[in-house]
Amino acid sequence: MILLLLIAIPFITGLLLLVSRPPAQARPIAMVATIACAVIALAQCWQYPGGELTFIEKDWVPDWGLRLKMGYDGIGLLMLMLTAVIFPFIIAAGAKENQENPAVVNALLLFTQSFLFGVFSSQNAFLFYIFYELSLVPLFFYLLFWGGANRRAITMRFFIYTLLGGLALLFGIAYCVVQEPSHSADFSALHALHLPYDTQVWLFWALFLAFAVKLPIFPFHSWQPDTYTMAPLQGTMVLGGVLLKMGLFGILRFVFPIVPLGTEHWRDLVVWLSIIGAIYAGWIAFRQTDLKRLVAYSSLSHVGILCAGLFAWNTYGITGSLYQAFAHAVLVVSMLYIVGAVQRRTGTTDLSVMGGLKLKSPRLAALFFLVMINAVALPLTQSFVGEWLMFNGLWQMEGGLWMTVAAVSTIILGAVYMLYAYQRVMLGPDTRVRPGVLLSEIADADQADHLFLVPLIAITLVLGFFPAPVLNLVQGSVQTLLSSLH
Amino acid sequence: MSVLILLSVLGVVLLYIGLSGAGSRAGASSILAPIGVLGVVGAVALLLRDFYINIPEYGHMLAFSDMSRWFSIGILVITGLIFLFGLDYYAKEEKNVAEQFALIAFSLVGAVMLTSYMNLLSLFLGIEVLSIPLYILAGGKRHSFRSSEASFKYFLMGSFASAFLLMGIALIYGVCASFELSKITEVAATSGGNILFILGGFFVLVGLTFKVAAVPFHFWSPDVYEGAPTLVTAYMSTVVKMAAFAGLLRFVGMSGMPQSVGQALVMIAAVTLVLGNIIALRQSHFKRLMAYSSIAHSGFLIMALVSSAPDNERAILYYTFTYSLATLGLFMVMTIAKRAANGDEHIRIFRGLFRANPWIGIVALLLLLSLAGIPLTAGFMAKFKVFQLALGQGHLKLTALAVTMALVGIYYYAVVIREAFSPSEQAPVLVVSPVNLLVISLCGIAVVVLGVMPQWVL
Repeated sequence: MILLLLIAIPFITGLLLLVSRPPAQARPIAMVATIACAVIALAQCWQYPGGELTFIEKDWVPDWGLRLKMGYDGIGLLMLMLTAVIFPFIIAAGAKENQENPAVVNALLLFTQSFLFGVFSSQNAFLFYIFYELSLVPLFFYLLFWGGANRRAITMRFFIYTLLGGLALLFGIAYCVVQEPSHSADFSALHALHLPYDTQVWLFWALFLAFAVKLPIFPFHSWQPDTYTMAPLQGTMVLGGVLLKMGLFGILRFVFPIVPLGTEHWRDLVVWLSIIGAIYAGWIAFRQTDLKRLVAYSSLSHVGILCAGLFAWNTYGITGSLYQAFAHAVLVVSMLYIVGAVQRRTGTTDLSVMGGLKLKSPRLAALFFLVMINAVALPLTQSFVGEWLMFNGLWQMEGGLWMTVAAVSTIILGAVYMLYAYQRVMLGPDTRVRPGVLLSEIADADQADHLFLVPLIAITLVLGFFPAPVLNLVQGSVQTLLSSLH
Repeated sequence: MSVLILLSVLGVVLLYIGLSGAGSRAGASSILAPIGVLGVVGAVALLLRDFYINIPEYGHMLAFSDMSRWFSIGILVITGLIFLFGLDYYAKEEKNVAEQFALIAFSLVGAVMLTSYMNLLSLFLGIEVLSIPLYILAGGKRHSFRSSEASFKYFLMGSFASAFLLMGIALIYGVCASFELSKITEVAATSGGNILFILGGFFVLVGLTFKVAAVPFHFWSPDVYEGAPTLVTAYMSTVVKMAAFAGLLRFVGMSGMPQSVGQALVMIAAVTLVLGNIIALRQSHFKRLMAYSSIAHSGFLIMALVSSAPDNERAILYYTFTYSLATLGLFMVMTIAKRAANGDEHIRIFRGLFRANPWIGIVALLLLLSLAGIPLTAGFMAKFKVFQLALGQGHLKLTALAVTMALVGIYYYAVVIREAFSPSEQAPVLVVSPVNLLVISLCGIAVVVLGVMPQWVL
């Protein structure tokens, strides 16, 4: 029931916004709905007794294996919580944006949230797929009509890329359901499926492709930088903050348990691809002259490590990856907010014409700095915990030494491009501000900016110092998953 | 068997109304359409009344099974909606309106025969009764060059297909000494390897796949779709398709065709999927786009056809019915947009649709999503079922190909969606008659409801 509530609150609120279209009250209404969801999700975390819980179990289309089976284990709950906690911030980030039709924008965002809740609470592969694809539909419209330059072509490319993965997944699900004796698509039934080795080797890619595109990992990433840059601020937040977590979650639900032998077969390749992608993206981020693009590439770099950690396939790696998923969501949203704030002040995201913003906006500079230390995974930040765990996990792999060395190098790269970006935006003389923007008119971070960023920074610091609550949430489920694999 | 009689009488009645003068003035459709709908409703009622009486009739020429009843009901429901569409479509027409309605009723007789034939002769008869009125209907816009071209082309190609069909039937008769499906099944079990028998099977398939516009027998369809009046195009892509697939299903299922025919169908499915989808990418004329989309959907349906699991009948029924709903709805939306754009049929006429009429815009979105196969619409469920069936039969590569082609399909529907939701410089002024609004909404809602609750049909 509580899960249905989570799905229904944003969905119904979104519908109401779409029908009534109140221009001024749209955002406050959406805020209330998302905060209600956050409260519910946090309460669920508070009460979570461990193990796998099922709340709803109903036949839908029985002979296709489609059942309304919803619930969560620790991993699902973490994802639900993450989505619920991040979305109020995403909605709030729209306050400073000058957008057409705020009611529709907020409605689309709420639909996305609703479908994401559906994805993270599905215990049936088919149901998962339905929500997974549905989450694309509101974003399609959002990007298509509110995006930046060249949005038509870029949105179509994003759409096609993701659907390609999605259809491969559908193929994989259909195949598994046919193989399953009772034709059930429940995860529990599919996980009990022991497919032959040869089948698993190819089925791995059918199942993995969707998530490899969604994350994305190298070489399936070419949609990502353009889409992140073109998307409106909130859209990028959704894409980078929450949507890509569906990729992680999907790997844990589909790839590892259904095709363990296939995973074993391809594991080294995937880890190396991820690490290569991470280094490659880090290097490009360093060379970027556009702040938003830089954030896009830095996200790509982080996600590479996230995926490598997951495929380390041990407690450290998976737990670290999940922890880092949360950290990454917080990071992406706060970082993008800073980008938006800088853009509003200077009228550009081009790093080559920026500089000296700190002179006029010292508080914003301080906030940027605090966000940045999370990005470079300084100890006592949330990212540090996640990265540390993942590197431990990689180290434990067979032949993990070089993987770890390569992965750690992305941290250094990350520090370089982040600090360099900070330097170019904030420090230096104030002579390079764009013509047309008077430096004297540039305001410092105001109350709303603080209200937005301080809680996010607080989350990173508190969970960086005291990661136990989140780790405890997932630990049991990760153990269960791993013990079922070996 | 009173259904066939009722439908024939319906056609005659419609013709007589035309003769009496009431049918040849502006607004005649407001009398003709309700009568047509009434007739169709009566036919559905008759089918439902005799539901479990599945005995052969007309000297073993026809026999309804449960499945063929459902196909017939589906066909009749869609035709009823098309009649309602005709109410508005022919409202301004002054001449020969009754003939249009009557011809549709006559061709319906053939469609129902196709769902329930027991004998290859009644198969041929069904195809001809279905097609001949269509040759005339395709030329319905008498002063349009395109329409006459469509009519002639359809007639010529259709005659070829009929000739193939007859040749095939003759060859099968030569081997089996009978036209009856049950006898043919018996003979096929013993001398199924006979080359003449296999050749006959192929020829019959050619005749039938022509009607569903499967590659390589699809050349007629884009031109005919484009040239024919939109209502007739809608009828061709929905009712004819349903009937032809019901016919194919019977032929493949009941005549015990040998393995090689099945393999030929797999090839046809693969080629149809690839060509239909790829060529559709390049279309900017909406009716041609729909023609290629119709070809592409035929590919998916043939995939279901070769999965001989017993539940493929239901899958095909579900697929064709929901496809018909979506297609019909879209053609109606197109007619509305076309009027606002002074007869243009380029997909740009959809631009600004959502702004001009949000509800129509949303329904068009649902219909397009269904055709594209996005979850929670009937189109997705249908495609998934087809994939599942094909995988169950072991057609791994064909399914992988179909999945890729489904992706291509999504692209060209997404282009139309993009148009419909893009703002235009000047919003089109849409005139939507209440009946049209009703039918379009019905199609949109049905596509979602059947997508959420597929077991109501499946």
